[in-house]
Amino acid sequence: MLSIRNFSKSYSRDKKAVDNLNLEVAGGDIFGFIGHNGAGKTTTIRAIVGVLDFEEGDILVDGISIKKDPLACKKAIAYIPDNPDLYAHLTGIAYLNFIGDIFEVNKFDRETLIEKYADAFSLTDNLGDSIASYSHGMKQKLAIIAALIHRPRLLVLDEPFVGLDPKASHTLKAIMADLCKGGSAIFFSTHVLEVAEKLCNKIAIIKGGKLVACGSTEEVKGDHSLEDVFLELIADEK
Amino acid sequence: MSKVFRLVSIQIGAVLTDMLSIGNSRNKKSKATGYGGLALFIVLMSGVSLMYCSMIASGLKMFNSLELLPVLVMAATSLVSLVTTIFKVKGTIFGFRDYDMVMSLPVSTAGMVASRVILLYAVNMVFTAIIMIPAMLVYGAVAKPGVIYVLISIITLFFIPLVPIVLASVLGTIVAYAASRFRYTNLFHILFSIVMFLGYLFLSMNMGDAGQEFADMSRALTEQVNSTYPLAPLYSKAVIHYDIVAMLMFIGISLLAFLLYTLVIGKCFKWLNSKMLTGSTRTKFKMGELKARSPFFAVYWKEMKRFFSTPIYVLNTGFGVILLTLGALALLFVTSPLADLLNLHFKIEEILSMPQFSGMLGSFGPLFVSFFIMMSSTTMASISLEGKNLWILKSLPVSTKTIFHAKIAVNLAILSPILLDIVIIGFVLNYDLIQGLIIILTTIVCSIFVSVYGLLVNLKFPNFDWTTETTVVKQSAAALVCVLTGMGIVGLQYLLIYLIPNTSLAYFIYIGLMAIVDCILYHKLMVYGTSRFREF
Repeated sequence: MLSIRNFSKSYSRDKKAVDNLNLEVAGGDIFGFIGHNGAGKTTTIRAIVGVLDFEEGDILVDGISIKKDPLACKKAIAYIPDNPDLYAHLTGIAYLNFIGDIFEVNKFDRETLIEKYADAFSLTDNLGDSIASYSHGMKQKLAIIAALIHRPRLLVLDEPFVGLDPKASHTLKAIMADLCKGGSAIFFSTHVLEVAEKLCNKIAIIKGGKLVACGSTEEVKGDHSLEDVFLELIADEK
Repeated sequence: MSKVFRLVSIQIGAVLTDMLSIGNSRNKKSKATGYGGLALFIVLMSGVSLMYCSMIASGLKMFNSLELLPVLVMAATSLVSLVTTIFKVKGTIFGFRDYDMVMSLPVSTAGMVASRVILLYAVNMVFTAIIMIPAMLVYGAVAKPGVIYVLISIITLFFIPLVPIVLASVLGTIVAYAASRFRYTNLFHILFSIVMFLGYLFLSMNMGDAGQEFADMSRALTEQVNSTYPLAPLYSKAVIHYDIVAMLMFIGISLLAFLLYTLVIGKCFKWLNSKMLTGSTRTKFKMGELKARSPFFAVYWKEMKRFFSTPIYVLNTGFGVILLTLGALALLFVTSPLADLLNLHFKIEEILSMPQFSGMLGSFGPLFVSFFIMMSSTTMASISLEGKNLWILKSLPVSTKTIFHAKIAVNLAILSPILLDIVIIGFVLNYDLIQGLIIILTTIVCSIFVSVYGLLVNLKFPNFDWTTETTVVKQSAAALVCVLTGMGIVGLQYLLIYLIPNTSLAYFIYIGLMAIVDCILYHKLMVYGTSRFREF
């Protein structure tokens, strides 16, 4: 579903934010992408979803290069950034309808899915309000609903659990599991290692832009907890 | 106090960064270019002010009224400060984006208010200095008044912006507060601002009519200025007649008003900000039928919503269209039988009845229309206004071409009332077929130009890190470049009409040239613009 091949990105001449990254995410995978602050997680995610331009390497979604045919890739992807700044001048429902229009979701699916997910996240009552009046958590929920209404085959999330209340976190985890059962893939970054350990079947750890571990959750953590493995891997070499 | 000045310096830094679009730039060279450009702009504007003041001075000298120059320019500066500050109040004093972050700092509310008010003062002081110093120099050079004039002028200079700031802040606060209480907040804000502006225009025009009764030109002008701005007589007495009491009164009233305002605002700063930052929420939403659109219309509709939800955007880029439409409707009204029935007589009607003026208006009609269109670019800010929302458009399966087309379509839609205006103008001024064709083609080529060029300029000078929309719409490099280019093009159009004896031929040459420029710009937008958009 997602194939990252020799991907590198640098913002300045002397330092690479991401260095020769290779990853494979298959349909049905919940793939956790872990790393310290500034490790290159958000850069990788922004490149996957076509927000960030890059020169070195390639990223394929369903076998299609994001560089060569970004629109075809974006049709299969839903992206939720770490801090969802949404159109404050629109109401919640207007934003969802806008997303439905762009993804050309038919009216029936659009109305049914909005109702289903808005109810699940207890946001239905507020959909008529301006997004400007939403709290951080409500914006996060709206971004999640917007991501789900076009039935993405690849869901890319950057720190999705930050700002969500416990019930919403639980709902999101259940939805993620459901999506994977349906054959979609999920790629997400997180600092909450317990969540990654419980939720993901595959994990990758990135340090200073380079991949230091990648594989099934069991392979990566072995007999230890994910936290121990992570701390050991990102510890500075002296 | 040091904390207040630290806050002011940070805010001024933010204003400059927004203005010069150097938010993301780590490059010293581009920063230097930005500041160099700003310095050049200040020098240029001072030069323009010097030129205008010299022209006014020579005009006034003919009527033996040179002493009116300082007070005339002071009143005009105050008026412009007043009008421009009204729209800065929301975003500077109230409803600014970083309110929560700033208010959590260990600075007293009084200190916070002071820092915000000082910021408004600083911005207005720069503007006042750009206009007033050349006026002072011109008057000094022509009237040769002596050292006391220089001293009094310099002392009073620092107090000129105070009362306009107070008046603008009070009006701006009323508008912003009243608007925040309504469901259609922004619509109320826009309509109220337009009504207020037109009310002032009407009032000052009426005062002008009264002035016509005076036989003495000098007295008429003095009356006009004094009735427009009540502090003007005090300023005049102080600067021209060296009346120390008048000077102290001018300074005293300005300071007192400013201090009173700061105290009152200090008392209700938190309360008003909380009221304005909490938007009104509707009753429980019930899912109904949703309207589906194509991706192009979805982006177009989103852009339209953006436009009408930002009052400063509407007032700054749509005001030319509003004025032209009101002007065209007024033109229709004053020449209609209804006006006779109501026994309404306007000066314009008399002007229109004079063949030479009617002919001149006919010839210059397309030039006026060009001018209003050139001042109405919504695209010059439409990329920057995406701000922190840019990720949405970039991650959605919608092509850059569609995004650009939707933004251009919004600009063209905003300009569309002009098509009705030109029909009215043509009808009232009895345009023949050629004149009609000229004004229609001029409207089309100029509308396309302003929409495509604005977008290109904004792509070249984007600013996504703004804290208030005002900086993007009014004070950004893109806005400045667009307005100056528009003026330049209207200037070129005038030059063509001036140089070529056959006015119709001149217009057709202009239309042809603009059509070629439009094609080149559109091609550049599709090639350069698309790759530039990918870089963000």
